[in-house]
Amino acid sequence: MQPLQLFKKFFGPKGRDQIPFAELFKRFQDILRKNTAAMELIADMDGKMGGDFVFDRKYLSDSIKKLKELVVGNAYDLNFITNNQFLAIYEVIESLANELEAELSGKVVVRETRRIYHFHQIDEGTEDIVGYKAYNLSKMIHLPKIYFPDGFVASIGCFRDYLAYNNLFEKIATLLEACEKEDKAVGSVSNAICLMILGGDIPPNIRREILNAANKICHGKFEGCYLSVRSSAVGEDGDLSFAGLHDSFLNVRYGELLSAYKKVLASLYNSASLAYRRQMNLFPMEMAMPVLYQRMVPSRVAGVLYTLDPSNPEGAECIVSASWGLGRVVVEGQAATDTFRVLRTPPHAITDQKISTKTWMLAPLKSGSARKVPAELRNKASLSPQEASRIVEAGLILERFFKKPMDVEWSIDDKGRLWVVQARPLRVSRPKRPLRMELDEVLKKQRILLKEKGMIAYRGIGAGPVWIAANSDDLTRFPAGSVLVSHFAPPRLAEIIPRASAILTDIGTTTGHMATVAREFKVPTIVGTGEATRVLQPEQIVTVDAERNIVYEDCIEQLLHHQLLEKPAFEFTLEFQVLRRLLKKIAPLYLTDPTAANFTPKGCRTFHDIMRFVHEKAFQALAQTGADPRHFVRRGGRRLKSQIPLDLILIDLGGGIAETAGRQTYVSPDQITSIPMRAIWAGLSSPHTWNLEPIPIDFKGLMSSVTRVQGSDLLGNSLPGVNLGVIGADYVNLSLPLGYHFTVVEAAVGPKPENNYITFRFAGGVTDITRRSRRATLLMTILEKDGFKVELNGDLVNARAIDLTKEQMSGNLYLIGRLIGFTRQLDILLKNDTDIERYLDKFMHQAGQPDDNQDSFNKEG
Amino acid sequence: MEKTTVCILDDEPIVGDRLKPELEDDGYRVEVFTDSASALDRLDQTCFDVFITDLKMEGVDGMGFLERIKEKCPGSEVIVITGYGTLESAREALIKGAYDFITKPFRIGEIRAAVKKAKKRARRHSE
Repeated sequence: MQPLQLFKKFFGPKGRDQIPFAELFKRFQDILRKNTAAMELIADMDGKMGGDFVFDRKYLSDSIKKLKELVVGNAYDLNFITNNQFLAIYEVIESLANELEAELSGKVVVRETRRIYHFHQIDEGTEDIVGYKAYNLSKMIHLPKIYFPDGFVASIGCFRDYLAYNNLFEKIATLLEACEKEDKAVGSVSNAICLMILGGDIPPNIRREILNAANKICHGKFEGCYLSVRSSAVGEDGDLSFAGLHDSFLNVRYGELLSAYKKVLASLYNSASLAYRRQMNLFPMEMAMPVLYQRMVPSRVAGVLYTLDPSNPEGAECIVSASWGLGRVVVEGQAATDTFRVLRTPPHAITDQKISTKTWMLAPLKSGSARKVPAELRNKASLSPQEASRIVEAGLILERFFKKPMDVEWSIDDKGRLWVVQARPLRVSRPKRPLRMELDEVLKKQRILLKEKGMIAYRGIGAGPVWIAANSDDLTRFPAGSVLVSHFAPPRLAEIIPRASAILTDIGTTTGHMATVAREFKVPTIVGTGEATRVLQPEQIVTVDAERNIVYEDCIEQLLHHQLLEKPAFEFTLEFQVLRRLLKKIAPLYLTDPTAANFTPKGCRTFHDIMRFVHEKAFQALAQTGADPRHFVRRGGRRLKSQIPLDLILIDLGGGIAETAGRQTYVSPDQITSIPMRAIWAGLSSPHTWNLEPIPIDFKGLMSSVTRVQGSDLLGNSLPGVNLGVIGADYVNLSLPLGYHFTVVEAAVGPKPENNYITFRFAGGVTDITRRSRRATLLMTILEKDGFKVELNGDLVNARAIDLTKEQMSGNLYLIGRLIGFTRQLDILLKNDTDIERYLDKFMHQAGQPDDNQDSFNKEG
Repeated sequence: MEKTTVCILDDEPIVGDRLKPELEDDGYRVEVFTDSASALDRLDQTCFDVFITDLKMEGVDGMGFLERIKEKCPGSEVIVITGYGTLESAREALIKGAYDFITKPFRIGEIRAAVKKAKKRARRHSE
């Protein structure tokens, strides 16, 4: 049977009589199909970020081309359906596509033109504007228990202004071309460019902005305020060994801030940097130098941490050197310092320490003023074991993030706060005899706990004690450096991911939220192992090899060291960097709320936004065909026959209703073949759900009171008071203006987890906003327990689940079905906040009761 | 025992850059080329146990390289990597004696497995 034929009776809404409704529906189906294809493509590209794939630039350009075709096709369909209401979308697509083209060619595309960024202004996705060093710093700022000195960045905008103001763009490009062609030209080209830069003038507006920003972080007092001025070059992708080639200046006084700026710019073109670019094939990438300014920290004790011992990089210890006062004496080797050898494995015990007699120190904040160390401190260890442990813990977090042994400048102030002043990769020589050669022998002897279970979501090696996440766990107690093991991948774990040395999940996909966060923080991750939580024991020490997909018992230092010292990190390849930039303009979904003011074509920042926008608007246009259920039935909609007093109209896009139903107007629930609709219905009609009447209220009367619908406008769906389900074999879009509130569920549930999603929106109610908010909180709690990502906005609940298997999604929809029934009048009952807990228990308790319906959607669906 | 030798030819440098360290971890001796001329020069000097080559390249393309390998080193095995949508040429490569083909983009595990199998076969040839 062709379900579309059923719509032949449909006639378009007023003003569009010329287009048969069936045609409109066909377009809507096309939109769904293209959206699915585009989401598959995006998931495919995102999956490549995990490092387990080898891809080339042709793959990138082909993917972009295909994606653009799909998005343009959808824009066309939307305009067909809506009679050209959204022509502005073409322009948005074109401009995004142009940016992607430019990224593919290696040019850094910057939309924003702000010149100065204070750290808290550095947003997601601005690494090309502020440079990776500053970007990563801004990310690390959120790590617990580590402080970073306040600062700001003179962005890529300043750099470009500088070149333009001094007419240097062309000249530099010509010189660099020569350098790209010939190795020998590096030295002379470098000299020539550096001289041009140093001889230039800083544009007046940039001078002003830098000095103003410095004024701000010095709180207007320049006496005693010193800054560091450092490179934060674009294109380094966090690989600070590159940045080590550029210049940095410490203890810079206010009057020297501008000359230091020019010196840092010039160092972008020093010969070491140019030679490195040649070697790494990075010349096609635009060179640009944002400059990082940071306030110097007054310290009680300061020093340097090497996360590996440079003289014995294969050993198990870190080296911490420390001295009283300002850290510069340690960095520059000017005075006697204490040296501590500290174990890399938690809890980071000190194995050896050499305490020297420290006679001189630099007084904090008085640059260069040496003074005598008080007698009682001279022979005292400058660090306690706890302090040494904290420093190492922080250093190892940075090491994992940068995937390099690190050289960390730290300081501790009078209040005992640990500051990280600077962090860069530690240069250590490669082992003379490659570690790789011994690895085989070592690994053969190791006990294997898991092998080739699940998929690698992020490549790398990590080791540490196992920490199994359970719902009740206090996440703030997660010990840094542990291996995070979790059954599911609930979004709440995102906050501890940066501190994990590796991640294993029983269930999850490489395109899931957790995998995405793990990639963001470069944490080696294997998802969907099926049994990690069962096989691994809490606090058991393990090594996760997320390259070969093996989990070993014990910490295998050789494997970790091989990774750290010998393996080139894939993140620094040109293709990987380009993909990362492309994805920033493709994958994120910013338009989550159809009621928001920016839910417009111009508000679309990514291809994903455009797809979301098109889908929403197309659905709305289709659904706005009438306010009366009969209206829909006349046009081929079916009425659902059931015990529940819910007048639900189903419109089948194809495969949603069994063929046995023929053309009859009434269908029974068991004739629903749509997988997601079946699951929702199973929940909605489960006996405990609908039988439970939270309040004695005339239900029929409630259902018929469509005029009292309040939530619909809130949801941006100016839908009528008809309970409408648009269904397909693996799709559902259900709008329920139940009673006084409004529910919209949209879901795709098929065999491929990466295409599966559920969005659930809920708003409205008869009571005051406080009670409605209580219900929203209750909903959020239940949904989050089930692994949904939930946003609350007053009484508007926006929940989303993605990337789960068909069975998991069906389970989630079953829960949503139950929730719809359970909560429909709950706001009236939630008189105070403690009621939330009570009803939560009630709901959860019911979930534990035997229930025939619970399996029906899986058995038959 | 002598190390198994692997030669990688792909004009996209990323392919060799990524594969070399991985295959070295598996205990192979690996050489990487990004243009067929220098790979052919090297072929004149020595037969690798396993060759991995892209098909589309400037100058002598992967198919030409494959033919030269089969002429000069009948005991070697050749794994062909192709962009998607060029299955036709992959089939042709198999007819001309390639041992296996892998479509780009590929997981590192796939190429490791393919090389492992090819190595065994190459060994049998030489025995």
